[in-house]
Amino acid sequence: MAALLLPGVALAEPVTLKAGEVLRGRFVQERFLAGFDQAVRSEGSFVLAPGQGLIWRGEKPFAVVTVITPAGMAQSMGGKETMRLSAAKVPFLARLHDVMSGAMAGDFHALDGEFTVNRERDRITLVPRRADMAQPVKAIVARIDRYVEEVDVQKPEGDRDHLTFSAQNVTPGPLTADEAAAFAATR
Amino acid sequence: MIRKILAVLWLVAVVAAGLHVARVASHGMPLESDLLALLPAEDRDPLVQQAKSHMAEQVSGRVVILAGHADPAQARRAAEALRDSLMADGLLADAGDVPDAEALRRLGAAYYPHRASLLSPADREALLAGTAEPLAQRTLSQVFGVGGMANAKLLANDPFLLLPSFLTTLPVPASRLAMVDGWPSVSEDGTTWVLLSGRLRGHAYGLADQQAFGAGYDKAARAAAEAAPGLRLLRLGAVFYAQAGAASAMAETSFIGTASTIGTVVLILVVFRSLSPLILSLLAGGIGLLCAFSATLAVFGTLHTSTAVFGATMVGVTVDYSLHYFSRVFAGHADRADRLRHIGTGVGLGLLTTVIGYGVLAVAPLPGLRQVAVFSALGLIASCLTVVLWFPSLDRAADRPLPRALGWLGAGFWSLWDNPAGRNARRLGLALTVVLAGLGLVMLRVDDDVRRQQALDPALAAEQAQIQRILGFSQGGQFYLIAARDTEAALQQEERLGERLAALRADGAVGEWRSPARFVPSAERQADNARLVQAQLTGAPVAELAAAVGLGMTVPAPEPEPLRLAQVSATGGVPLLPGLVLAEGVHLVALDHAVDVARLRQAASGLEGVTFVDPVADMGRLLGTYRERAIGLLAVSLLLMLPPLMWRYGVRGGLWTMVPPVAALALTPLLLALIGLPFTFFAAMALVLVASAGVDYAVFCAESGADRDPVTIVATLLATVTTILSFGLLAFSEVSGIRSFGAVMLVGIALSALFAPLAGRVRPRRA
Repeated sequence: MAALLLPGVALAEPVTLKAGEVLRGRFVQERFLAGFDQAVRSEGSFVLAPGQGLIWRGEKPFAVVTVITPAGMAQSMGGKETMRLSAAKVPFLARLHDVMSGAMAGDFHALDGEFTVNRERDRITLVPRRADMAQPVKAIVARIDRYVEEVDVQKPEGDRDHLTFSAQNVTPGPLTADEAAAFAATR
Repeated sequence: MIRKILAVLWLVAVVAAGLHVARVASHGMPLESDLLALLPAEDRDPLVQQAKSHMAEQVSGRVVILAGHADPAQARRAAEALRDSLMADGLLADAGDVPDAEALRRLGAAYYPHRASLLSPADREALLAGTAEPLAQRTLSQVFGVGGMANAKLLANDPFLLLPSFLTTLPVPASRLAMVDGWPSVSEDGTTWVLLSGRLRGHAYGLADQQAFGAGYDKAARAAAEAAPGLRLLRLGAVFYAQAGAASAMAETSFIGTASTIGTVVLILVVFRSLSPLILSLLAGGIGLLCAFSATLAVFGTLHTSTAVFGATMVGVTVDYSLHYFSRVFAGHADRADRLRHIGTGVGLGLLTTVIGYGVLAVAPLPGLRQVAVFSALGLIASCLTVVLWFPSLDRAADRPLPRALGWLGAGFWSLWDNPAGRNARRLGLALTVVLAGLGLVMLRVDDDVRRQQALDPALAAEQAQIQRILGFSQGGQFYLIAARDTEAALQQEERLGERLAALRADGAVGEWRSPARFVPSAERQADNARLVQAQLTGAPVAELAAAVGLGMTVPAPEPEPLRLAQVSATGGVPLLPGLVLAEGVHLVALDHAVDVARLRQAASGLEGVTFVDPVADMGRLLGTYRERAIGLLAVSLLLMLPPLMWRYGVRGGLWTMVPPVAALALTPLLLALIGLPFTFFAAMALVLVASAGVDYAVFCAESGADRDPVTIVATLLATVTTILSFGLLAFSEVSGIRSFGAVMLVGIALSALFAPLAGRVRPRRA
């Protein structure tokens, strides 16, 4: 129907990751902090393995590695751990993993419980069903082509994170030893 | 004439007891089922005792239910339906252990102004070591890393993220649960488990409350299961155990009581072949029970289910005096009064020694056992009075010749011990007994572990293990008690203890500990934290960080007044906190995964006002102490029984009368050790009963030793069989404490009867 009403707009079918597949790519993060015009910018590569977790490997300006799994989150800088949080202590982290990996793997049904999911052409908007302290996200807007190309995370205090993805490709796996070890370490 | 008056007075007393029991029962019997309530609530330190009951109350009132379903929404709906149903029935109250968003906001608001004085253990360690670098890197990684949660406002006012670091290292109960749609949930192997936790409105060990909760829960669980096929429910809570325990105790009581009564009835009918002895024996037994119930309720206000179990079995003992009385129908007395006269001395002496035995128990410092002592003594006295005062008037039984089989049995028992031809056999038997006793002595072991004495429903225990695995917690009963002059002193002691516990945690000796000081440091510690923050973070470190991020940043200044424990408690954001404060300066430190108890105990040493409390171990020690004391009391009561026996039989005769019961007492635990039964506190209690029955048997044999009266043996054997029918059946109880009691009764009573004819060698000095 959409194709008939909007001739010339060919919507590519988004890629949905199958079990065992791994999505790799590059990212640029711009963090807009409330009250500052200048965005805090960082870039690097990422790895997404559905069911296992996400690794964000920042390269510029700092080598910050963030690993997010259902069990929690760990961050390190220059190889030294700076933060470790278990999902048990901060329940939102478990959801953070679901949200991020669900969104990036094209599995939006998994998010139905926590968010109202609104799809309009190539934009998907996620709004938490319940606003409370444990939910430090106001809304997530993603632009989707074959992959998720852009994500905008709006936070309650007026901050905003903008992520742009590029050079994405799916391989049937497996994870490298380093990647598997990074996931295992958050448990 | 005097007997007539006394008989009427006794009737008045019995009717009064009946009315008393009926009146109490009409309001519902005040039954207790906590086995531990029967045991002494002893602790030299009343504060420790108070802390224990405080902890026990917190634990026993808790109800945890996990609703599991493949569909998370179904699991949540089931948990909600269960909660609503239990709360609507007034059975469950909100435990308040999941703070709501508003309480968390209040908690954050209370902590925020004090962020310059609150340091997580790792941050404090870094600053003590003189480096701010790990803190600066944490901020950088939060700002430049993906998924950072620090916002601009926080970064400007708490650039080193001291407060988030403090908050995330707070020892909230370890748990794998995440909040989904307002319900704590966890998914595992395709099942979503939703936690429903609450506080029991009633008393976990009150029988009526248990039954109400059990019925309400069953109803709600059935409804939930119908609404969501495939639903699984796991339960954890003292009330479930108590209910299962009480149900099995009740089932046992009715079974043992029924078996004991039927056995006794059949026995009396077969032996006496007449209704009168049966009716009067049951009357005496019933009156004994009635008076025992009445006296127990009057003295203690409540009746323990274990006493009720005990009471049901008393039937077999209270009929002893009736059996002796009616055995005289075989002796050919002309007059009814002669029947009583002939056994009068034996009954009197037997009752006297029995009352001495229970009297010692009742006045001894064994508070819980007084109930059993009062119950037993009153039951026996009442049934004895019934025999003495009423039987000669009510007795319609005609004299009968002693059936030949019983005659042989009686004569055979006598000759077992004094037939000259059997001397060698007796010597051989004695030698064999000594060898077996020696073997038993080698194998004898004591068991005071209270956990093994209570019957825990295995299905519930499995559910508990599963819940603990799913939720990821394990809480033993151990804790520390901190007693200091004020809150500040208590918090400082907790911080000193905390340093030792941190070292123990690193070694894996303990998982986690929760002290008030970990939520609100002492004023002294807060001041020291603020000093470290000002010294290590202001100036260059914060300027460098601000430059790297590109934001204006200020290290917070400390508040003039320190954060107070009461402020944080009042927010409701840490539901466990009020439970850790007993009174001003009196705090508790709860432990998770207490692995190395010895080292944890050691950690308290040298810290003033800090005590390690291990209720289970203390109870075990207490059981051990009382097991020893029970043996001491037994010795005392045997000694106290000697004067009346010596008055009757002379010094040597009195001593000799004690030989059969003492031999039975000494042999019983040793023979049971041979089959692997440990000696417990409950076994020691049974020995007290064996002693009183055994002395009775010996006295009756001593009274009729001169003419080798087979009727006495028959009466004694009848008493033995009825006692074994009642108490001996307890050897098959589900509750190992009661089983231990029953086994000792079974063997002890049998041995007492076997040895009793030995006492026939003495002669009464007075008629």
